[in-house]
Amino acid sequence: MTVVSGAMLVLGFGFVFAGAIGILRLPDFYCRLHAMGKCDTLGVALMLGGLAVHEGLSLTSFKMLFVLLFVSLANPTATHALGRAAVRAGVVPWRSDKGQS
Amino acid sequence: MITMSMLLASLSMALGVVMLLSLYRVVRGPTIFDRLTGLGLIGSKTIVLLIVLGSWSEQVGLYVDIALSYGLLSFVGTLVLAKYFEVSSGAAGGPE
Repeated sequence: MTVVSGAMLVLGFGFVFAGAIGILRLPDFYCRLHAMGKCDTLGVALMLGGLAVHEGLSLTSFKMLFVLLFVSLANPTATHALGRAAVRAGVVPWRSDKGQS
Repeated sequence: MITMSMLLASLSMALGVVMLLSLYRVVRGPTIFDRLTGLGLIGSKTIVLLIVLGSWSEQVGLYVDIALSYGLLSFVGTLVLAKYFEVSSGAAGGPE
């Protein structure tokens, strides 16, 4: 059980770290939103699941699973709201000028 | 042999480093929406960091309620700030 929990924690942190690299390095607001919306949701869900497995079957692990459910509902909604607000405020998407790099 | 306590302590430090990386985007974001994106990222890391720290100090029943209420407040805050800056930064299509 400890092995499963540790593997889920490390894998989730890998996704979270990939999301942070993406939000630093990608060229545009919409690309950064892409990195935030998927990597962050999956990474946080995996880490919370690993902690709930480590805790065992109790009321606390049920609360952790509820936090997991709430995050996996709220994080895509917040990402969508940010993207729609940026489109309506007139943020133009990035285009490659050269065509071939 | 890596114990669970060592893994949780190193994960909390690594989560702090990831939050600092996201703070760079909050400080240097070209538009206001980049700053909001970095802020949302820091918020969701904070939920995980609270539960990791609580599970490291064997008091996770205390910290999970704080994490849940912080998650609710962060979500509502992100939604309200997105709506506010959508209206106040000169929408292209006019207000609804």
